[in-house]
Amino acid sequence: MTIEEIKKKFKEDLEKVSDKKMLEDLRVRYLGRNGELNMILREIREMPEQERAQIGRYVNEFKNEINELIKTAEDRLVEAISNFSKEWLDVTAPGMSLPRGHLHPRTIVLHKVEEIFQSLGFSVIDSAELETDYYNFQALNYPKDHPARDMQDTFYVTDEFLMRSQTSPNQVRYMEKHNPPLRIIAPGKVYRRDASDATHESQFFQVEGLMVDKHISIGHFKAVITEFFKRLYSKEVKIRLRPSYFPFTEPSFEPDISCTFCDGQGCRICKNTGWLEMAGAGMVHPFVFKSAGYNAYEWQGFAFGFGLDRLVMMKYKINDIRLLNFGDLRFLKQF
Amino acid sequence: MKFSADWLNEYLKKPLKPEKMDELLTMHAFEVESIEKFGEDFVLDIKVLPNRAHDCMSHIGIAKELAAISSNTFVPSKISVNEDKDVKAKSLISVDVWAKDLCPRYSMRVVSNIKIGPSPKWMQERLQACGLRPISNIVDITNYVMLETGQPLHAFDVEKVGGRKIIVRRANEGEQITTLEGKSYKLSSQNLVIADEKVAIGIAGIKGGEGPEIDEKTKIVAVESANFEPTNIRRTSKAFNLRTDASIRFENGLDPELTSKALLRAALLMVEFADGRVASGLIDVYPNKVKPRKIFADVEWIQGLLGLSVKPQEMMNILKRLYISAKTIKKGKKIFIEAVPPTSRLDLQAQEDLAEEIVRVLGYDKIPVTVPSGILISAVKEDSLIYEDKIKDILAGAGWSEAQNYSFISDADIKAFEINNQVEIKNPFSQDQKYLRPTLIVNLLKNVKENLKYFNSVRLFEIGRSFAMVKEEPMELHNKIAAVISNKDIKKPAEGLFELKGLIHILLEKLGINDVWFDDELSVDSTTMPLWLRFTHPVGRAQIKSGQDQIGWIGEIKPKILSTMEIKEKVSVFELDFPEVSRIASEERAYQPPSRYQAMTRDLAVIVGEMTKIEEVLNIIEAAGGPLLQDTDIFDIYEGLTDGKKSLAFRLTYQSDEKNLTDEEVNKIQEKIIIALEEKGWEVRK
Repeated sequence: MTIEEIKKKFKEDLEKVSDKKMLEDLRVRYLGRNGELNMILREIREMPEQERAQIGRYVNEFKNEINELIKTAEDRLVEAISNFSKEWLDVTAPGMSLPRGHLHPRTIVLHKVEEIFQSLGFSVIDSAELETDYYNFQALNYPKDHPARDMQDTFYVTDEFLMRSQTSPNQVRYMEKHNPPLRIIAPGKVYRRDASDATHESQFFQVEGLMVDKHISIGHFKAVITEFFKRLYSKEVKIRLRPSYFPFTEPSFEPDISCTFCDGQGCRICKNTGWLEMAGAGMVHPFVFKSAGYNAYEWQGFAFGFGLDRLVMMKYKINDIRLLNFGDLRFLKQF
Repeated sequence: MKFSADWLNEYLKKPLKPEKMDELLTMHAFEVESIEKFGEDFVLDIKVLPNRAHDCMSHIGIAKELAAISSNTFVPSKISVNEDKDVKAKSLISVDVWAKDLCPRYSMRVVSNIKIGPSPKWMQERLQACGLRPISNIVDITNYVMLETGQPLHAFDVEKVGGRKIIVRRANEGEQITTLEGKSYKLSSQNLVIADEKVAIGIAGIKGGEGPEIDEKTKIVAVESANFEPTNIRRTSKAFNLRTDASIRFENGLDPELTSKALLRAALLMVEFADGRVASGLIDVYPNKVKPRKIFADVEWIQGLLGLSVKPQEMMNILKRLYISAKTIKKGKKIFIEAVPPTSRLDLQAQEDLAEEIVRVLGYDKIPVTVPSGILISAVKEDSLIYEDKIKDILAGAGWSEAQNYSFISDADIKAFEINNQVEIKNPFSQDQKYLRPTLIVNLLKNVKENLKYFNSVRLFEIGRSFAMVKEEPMELHNKIAAVISNKDIKKPAEGLFELKGLIHILLEKLGINDVWFDDELSVDSTTMPLWLRFTHPVGRAQIKSGQDQIGWIGEIKPKILSTMEIKEKVSVFELDFPEVSRIASEERAYQPPSRYQAMTRDLAVIVGEMTKIEEVLNIIEAAGGPLLQDTDIFDIYEGLTDGKKSLAFRLTYQSDEKNLTDEEVNKIQEKIIIALEEKGWEVRK
């Protein structure tokens, strides 16, 4: 066959190709090792040099042309297979509904709180909810029948056992087992014998903090608590301390932060004061060091406790604390 | 407590506006909860802190605070009185204190020639501003002096006191008293009473009794001004649920020195506003006069605690403004302050108390922010809390949402769940919160019920504490991990139960626990029956085990409980023991490279009896299959066969880590499996 004949034949064969396999066969038949073109190239070895070069060039051009044609045919085949015009997909249809799980908002906020305090060197400790009168009150300088106990109406289980009304028992419990210097936070559930309404609950979360070392001052407390709130709200906050009273701290004070809703301008949430009450705090009372078996005046420290639920409610604008003590999916699925 | 701004200003050289009082008190002493206009006056509601109730539940106390913190001058009220030399108090009435331990001081003054009538208008207005109802000049004066000085007073009509004798004693067992309101109380020797020769005429420090009360005919008045032991007053007041203006003050403790001062003030007002004549002499039973105490304070220690270098002189100036006398003492290089607080400051006991006085008068805003230095302590989170976080993340990731429920349950719950080891709250506040939960399931089921109103499927979990009586002692049980599922659109029976089994596998595998299995061989002994067996369906339940240790249980809730709770769907639950799970959880694992050689599969169907457990069939296949049987998958269960049979279809995967297996090798193992199955009497279809 002459090259011209081969060319003509190839084009005829290409017309008949209807799938990828036929196309591949065609390619092998013409361009393969024993294909038509190689047969010709084998033949021209016998020819004179000048003619050989000319035919060789011609065959190579033809080879390229075949390659082109095959490529074009291939594209045409792929398109034919996917058949775009007939198929239609509504990508805007909703995705498959897979079960979704949600963490409780308290868990989410507590993670953040723990992360900040850990970065400030505070360890996070676990603790029990059923406490003794001793650790919840007596070791913290609340004698039996002391009026300060009225600040926290408590659920009793026996004369000795109670549902802890604060996370503060952890101060003495932890110090009994560990030597200073120490920095801890102890988050957990606490219980108060109190009527439930939108802002009060018989059960809520507190975070206790304690830092003890040779020389700890109110100035250090200011630094730690300011840094905490600054990081929690990701903005500058001002802090002020008001005098207060807790039997287990002396001096005692309550840190307020500049209202995060109005930046201290005064709004409904801060009752136009520009300040939000956040916690109870103070310098660890020497009585508490004594309870823990420390030398009372050898160490100094600050302690604080704040309500986690209030932070959660403020962060997510939740208007009823009772929502936090149930498993309502209409509520949970928003977090 | 409510305070009149006008009244407070009476004791201040430079009067203060109510708003200024608010600002000063809030930042230096007590929170002011509200300021309200009352006629021309303003009423401040001041939250006096418990440690200052003994001296600041009085206008004089608050005025002294205001004077100290605003560099103002406190102006005391007039308390000099002209006694009637002809009449001796002791000749009109006598006092005997039997219970000296409960009554450190008992003082009395007698005023004769009394004309009962209304008190002056200004006094009535001040009482009303403070929330008290005017009654008569004598009663109003006793109340007025209490609000002024903090010392509760009580007035008796001397002529009605039996034997004209006052006895302070413990009540007799079963002794009765009727108070001025006409309420009767049965007393015991725990209670202190004021009595005449025959009967109790008052519950000491709490409430006056019927008998010698003031009436329009009263001519001679004896005014009681006493100091009672605070704990006893508090116990009696709590026991009788009787809280009065007097009992609140007594239970916080009072300065014994105050009794005589308050009496002088009351006598003066009775002269002025009831035409009285003050009998000469103070009746005073005061065996142990209180002595002022000295406090030594280390100046450097206080400076360090405050984080503020206040000079000793400045400290002393502040203390003096609070009527605390102070001087400095040098010992070597150290400077101490020797301070003597007035007897009225019961709260000042040690140097830390002085530190607080100094810093609050100065203002906490004076303290600079100081970043703590010191050695680096590595902050760690307790392992249990790390696992708790991890478990929550796994369960939420698998599609379960986190509930956090009350730790309390009710009588109805106890009954429905047949609970018998509950811990009871001694002083519950409501019926819903009478007991502590012994399992998380009870309240999770309440969640399911509510959620089914709005959702077709409910998947919830909770991690939390539960409580139980163990050997008659209340105990906090270990943390539990509980999950529930309820689904309205189930395609197969017990689908929820198996979904939960799937969840357990996800959870435990991710925690590195691989040997979990479900043991349904339960011994149901009604005496020692664990709680969960009481509320789960006898057919659909099992213990969850890892090796030989039980780590939890799984089951469907009994239909009876569901109907009691009005839940229409099936509910499946599990509860895992948190410490067990975290104990065997392991972070360690070694990577197994996938085999480079070809895997071969063979299918196999086994016909077994309906009641044959799949686990049993699987165990036989796996034992016979040996190490080259890499995976056994059940892909079909057909239960519709005749003769009570079902067909189980398995896909077996064979693979070696060393070479490509040949057909012959695989067939040989497959044959071995078939023989093993047939030996059990099961028919195998290849």
